[in-house]
Amino acid sequence: MSLFLIAALPFIGALLPGLMIQAGRNTCSTWTGIISLSALIGLLVHAPAVLRGEVITASVEWMPALGLNASFYLDGLGLLFGTLILGIGCLIILYARFYLSSKDPMGNFYTYLLLFQGAMVGIVLSDNILMLLVFWELTSLSSFLLIGYWKHLPEGRQGARMALTVTGMGGLGLIGGMLLLGHIAGTYELTELLEKRDLIQADPLYVPALLLILLGAFTKSAQFPFHFWLPRAMAAPTPVSAYLHSATMVKAGLFLMARLYPVMSGTTEWFWIVTLAGLITMVLGALIGIFQNDLKGLLAYSTVSHLGLITMLLGFSTEAAAIGAVFHIINHASFKASLFMTAGIVDHEAHTRDITRLGGLRHLMPITFVITAVASLSMAGIPPFNGFLSKEMMLEAAAHAQLGDNAWLIPALATLGALFSVAYSFRLLLHTWFGAERHDYPHHPHDPPFGMWLSPALLAVLVVLIGLFSQGLVGGIVQTTAASVLGNHAHPHVHLALWHGVTPALYMSGVAVLGGLVLLALYRPAHGLWHAVPRPDAKVIFDAIIDAATKLANWITDTLHDGKLTRYAAIFFLFTVLASWHAFSGGAGVTLPREPMQADIIPIIAWFALIAATGVTVYYHRHRLLALVVLGIIGVVVSLSFNYLSAPDLALTQLSVEVVTIVLLLLALNFLPEFTPKDSGNGRHVRDILIAVFVGGAVAALSYVIMLTDFAMPSIAEYHLAQSHDLAGGNNVVNVILVDFRGFDTFGEITVLGIAALIIYGVTEGLLGSKVRQKLLERKPNHPIAGDEHPMMMVVATRLLLPIALMVGVYIYLRGHNDPGGGFVAGLIVAIALLMQYMASGYDWADKRQRFPYHASIACGVMAAGITGIGAFFNNMPFLTSDFGYFQFPPLQKFELATAMGFDLGVFLAVVGAVMLTLESLSRLAYRRGDVPDEYPMDINPSRQPKNEDH
Amino acid sequence: MQADLAILLPEILLSAFALVALLGAVYTGKDKLASALVWVTSIVMLVLAAMIGLGDATTQVAFDGTFVNDGFARFAKVVIMVAAAVVLIMSQEYMQRRGILRFEYPILVCLASVGMMVMVSAGDLISLYMGLELQSLSLYVVASLRRDSVKSTEAGMKYFVLGALSSGLLLYGASLTYGFSGTTSFSGIIQAVQGEHLSLGVLFGLVFIVSGLAFKVSAVPFHMWTPDVYEGSPTPVTAFFATAPKMAAMGLFARVMHDAFGGAVGDWQQVIAFLAVLSMFLGSIAAIGQSNIKRLMAYSSIAHMGYALMGLASGTALGVESMLVYMAIYVTMNVGTFAFILSMERNGQPVTDILSLSSLSKYAPGRAFALLVLMFSLAGVPPMLGFFGKLYVLRAAYEGGLAWLAVAGVVASVIGAFYYIRIVYYMYFGEETEELDTPRNPVLSGLLVASAVIMIAAVVLNLFGIDGAAASAAASLVN
Repeated sequence: MSLFLIAALPFIGALLPGLMIQAGRNTCSTWTGIISLSALIGLLVHAPAVLRGEVITASVEWMPALGLNASFYLDGLGLLFGTLILGIGCLIILYARFYLSSKDPMGNFYTYLLLFQGAMVGIVLSDNILMLLVFWELTSLSSFLLIGYWKHLPEGRQGARMALTVTGMGGLGLIGGMLLLGHIAGTYELTELLEKRDLIQADPLYVPALLLILLGAFTKSAQFPFHFWLPRAMAAPTPVSAYLHSATMVKAGLFLMARLYPVMSGTTEWFWIVTLAGLITMVLGALIGIFQNDLKGLLAYSTVSHLGLITMLLGFSTEAAAIGAVFHIINHASFKASLFMTAGIVDHEAHTRDITRLGGLRHLMPITFVITAVASLSMAGIPPFNGFLSKEMMLEAAAHAQLGDNAWLIPALATLGALFSVAYSFRLLLHTWFGAERHDYPHHPHDPPFGMWLSPALLAVLVVLIGLFSQGLVGGIVQTTAASVLGNHAHPHVHLALWHGVTPALYMSGVAVLGGLVLLALYRPAHGLWHAVPRPDAKVIFDAIIDAATKLANWITDTLHDGKLTRYAAIFFLFTVLASWHAFSGGAGVTLPREPMQADIIPIIAWFALIAATGVTVYYHRHRLLALVVLGIIGVVVSLSFNYLSAPDLALTQLSVEVVTIVLLLLALNFLPEFTPKDSGNGRHVRDILIAVFVGGAVAALSYVIMLTDFAMPSIAEYHLAQSHDLAGGNNVVNVILVDFRGFDTFGEITVLGIAALIIYGVTEGLLGSKVRQKLLERKPNHPIAGDEHPMMMVVATRLLLPIALMVGVYIYLRGHNDPGGGFVAGLIVAIALLMQYMASGYDWADKRQRFPYHASIACGVMAAGITGIGAFFNNMPFLTSDFGYFQFPPLQKFELATAMGFDLGVFLAVVGAVMLTLESLSRLAYRRGDVPDEYPMDINPSRQPKNEDH
Repeated sequence: MQADLAILLPEILLSAFALVALLGAVYTGKDKLASALVWVTSIVMLVLAAMIGLGDATTQVAFDGTFVNDGFARFAKVVIMVAAAVVLIMSQEYMQRRGILRFEYPILVCLASVGMMVMVSAGDLISLYMGLELQSLSLYVVASLRRDSVKSTEAGMKYFVLGALSSGLLLYGASLTYGFSGTTSFSGIIQAVQGEHLSLGVLFGLVFIVSGLAFKVSAVPFHMWTPDVYEGSPTPVTAFFATAPKMAAMGLFARVMHDAFGGAVGDWQQVIAFLAVLSMFLGSIAAIGQSNIKRLMAYSSIAHMGYALMGLASGTALGVESMLVYMAIYVTMNVGTFAFILSMERNGQPVTDILSLSSLSKYAPGRAFALLVLMFSLAGVPPMLGFFGKLYVLRAAYEGGLAWLAVAGVVASVIGAFYYIRIVYYMYFGEETEELDTPRNPVLSGLLVASAVIMIAAVVLNLFGIDGAAASAAASLVN
């Protein structure tokens, strides 16, 4: 059968149980079994060839860009693991048929089981390491579904979470390690990669890759310090424990280490990490196992211990140890799966797995007893069972292992591990099965139906047979597997036998058995001592780590995201400055080709005034009126500096814009309290000042450098200065740019300005009838309002100023094309003149005298500009092309007329309309027509007194 | 002129549609037509996506290089159009039922999409800025669509202020670049900006442009708006934010870096790699403590942007290819996840607490499994599609000489896996709580299932060939 089919069969078959469950539970389990069995047969068909030393491959391209190919290969190691996975899988399927109660959804169970089986088979057959990763994580996923199968058990939750967290993260670490490995080797195909031992071990990335890969392997195989998740995953149904947690999934980590053994092993790092982790796990797991009262808990720790044993053997990096490891994998799978199943039977029959509540079961369940006895004696390493053989090989290998210069530590600890192992194995046997029959079992036990004990019985038979006829039965497969583990075309010498003569291992074994029995005899005091000695609880540590991680994460989040814009802005600015510093320090260095201007005394004074005013604004920003006044000073200084730097036009514009904005802000202040509430403490102020000064300094420095540097091309100003008069007939370049060169822009701008004013109008219109307005009308000012609403002096002055201001506006407009001025400035000046009337004489008075709606002014402005532009069409020119000419009408002198003037008129009208409409909209909120019907500006009312509350 | 306009046809069609729809809606039924308008808009977008995807496959340049329609732009545009259309379809029922479906919503999404299309096609700093602002301004409004909700308006406000700041920064960078390279067109800049030591002005320009764009892709430390906006906006809007604009911003990022600054890879590589590392780690770490699934998705998207930036940081064609593949996968995963989040309701009220998912697998095993697939995919666990996206960018990073970045990416993904798996844990092992409602909207369920199926099917079917499209797209950008 093709390797593709073998790997795909369980996945395809996973669809069947869901369908077949309709036809009954037997049909369902039969079909599941058939799938597993046919995959197994398909695999075994290749066995003879593999045993001859051939390697079977199958490959197709999948995502070549990523180096991912669907390629499989089958060698000894793959064959061994594949057989274990599929063979034990068949037995588990049979067992589960009888184990699951009629309430459990069997279809789901078998589907998950087959998915898992497929993933495992995929791991062991993968040639491409990326494929291997895919299957690796698939086992996590499907095991997750299987562990979570019994959802009603609350104790399962914590265990499942731990299992998932630990193996999941280990798996992701493994991805990193494998990618590094593939990167070093330059290939992702194992068959090629495994040939590159020297290349890989010489690479500086070898150690990170090794660490990440071992992280994946250790978490999966529950090696110290990740051993704690496995015993806690035991809330899963027993078939799952038997399959995942003893025979297959936890061995995936071992498989991985064995698979990469040819390229990863033999280095000091490998020896120390792998040996030590294995050794500690073996001893520690066995020790904890002794004192477990839960049958499955005991078996789980025993599994941890045995996995540690195999890991340690792989760590030794010798041929004999590798052979021992391979052999023990077979043996452990056989006796441990059998024991798990019998534990499940006990649970099923007696309704408890608590050893202290059991005992004396041997007469009640004789068949189960025999099976358990065989398997647990093998686990203890008693001859002639198979566990004895591989344990001897382990002790033999340990006896020759040195940890640094120390020759006795490993043998001693290995013996100690074996001793503990004997103790818990016999405890399992004696405390559960021997002793007096009890009358207080939760349920009276008896042997289960044939189907349920068949699977563990078959395994027990295997335990005996392998023990007796080891060389003949499994010598070949161990030979082939060890060859593929050792790699590099090794031909290991395998000789499996019960009797090797009197060796150090035999002595160690004898010590272990005797010691174990003594320990068991002293179980009560030992048990008391065990519980008296404080020891770290993995669950507490795990929870503490998770807790700490969550707290750290929360702290980081809360520090960065406290929801306050100020902090966000601070981070934003600081990082930008840092990034700029990075750019600065990485740049070509600073050369400043230009000379700075010479500064006179007056500009320096103005400059200081500007800085002082800025500081005052910030300092007094809570005092709104004062801040606004100082803001006005800043505006004036800025306008003056424009003037000083030869931009009179800009200065004029800036000045009028300043006036309009200050007046509008003043109006807005009318609606607001006098002081801004204090929003932050002094500490934050200091922080903000530091940031502001820092960022401001950075911006200043940047501006300084930029202004003293030459740009890549000549300034665009030169072009405009040269062409302004010739092409557009104007000497005021700014105005010419506005109305001529960039007329299209200006046309868009005035339209936008008008739309903005209309939107303000629309929004305030909507507010007129709302609560907002009511609040504004009912607001209580901080100070009593001055009784004189229309101060006489101001009224008189503004009325005198109005015609003058209008004249100035016209003048500015007319001179605009050649001298500083223009429609925009003129519009602002006229708007200011009108504004003053509103301020001095009141909304009501001014509104009555206002005959043209401001909307119309905007519309006229935009239309005037548009029509001027269209005019160009009659001249066969594109839109907005301007024209000019010189005319003379007596008695006037010769003067120039340009179409741009029409355009500028449009600008003028639009600006006036927009500013006034905005003003009117805002004012309407606070004033009503006829608010003060009996009093007008310039009326004298002698009875009027200041409305002071004190009077 | 005629030829130029023909190149811009999809953009023109979509703009025209948006304007006609706006006028039509204002002068007729207003919000009564909103539902229909949402559907029509998504159909228009899907048609445009087909038009762009199946159209002329050559590189076309319009308006003297201001607008480039090449394979890269087309790839990004198809993703943008499809994502926007799908999100609109998801929104309709949800918003309708809550009375927050305004006719402006589909129109704003349309205009934002036009902006995005211009962004990914920009061949000039001016068109870059124009597209970016059209997108941003539409999004500011969309973010605060629910005007009566304090959270929504506050989020919109923060987004606007910071967004304006970043736009200013970008503009400053653009003007410096212009000043010191003498041109605004990318093809001109790339000729002026070459070699090891750039002039200070150009370097500053580059840094500021990168900072401004980093804000748009919500890369750390310019990401601060993301969690607030994700949480505050109505969920369909969040879904939109998480998909199309991200693709557009990444597309623009890649275009500017390669088209304009492709001659100075060394100068931006480190900065982008730095942004990528920060984003991956902060996104992963900060998500751990979240209990609101929308906020969690915000951090998740920050982390994912980090991975996409990792591809970009490699500075190679493979990097751009990996980034495109990553983004396409990311968008698909997010569509599915948000389809689920949109259907999270209890007694008719939307819930966003992660704990409300507890024991979902018991009463809704199908939905729980679909979300499990999506979460594993988001975490980058094989064999889900998300893993291949990560694999792509990791490969691009270390083949581009950034092995440390690849290792950092793996470490960050391990941290990040924690919170995705936590959601799955709650679904499968959580304490029993009050059940969520059975989803009523078949559109959402369909999208959830479809997205989950894609997570597996695309792996089996060679990513649907999207990697080939991405490769040719990347080739058109990086020469």
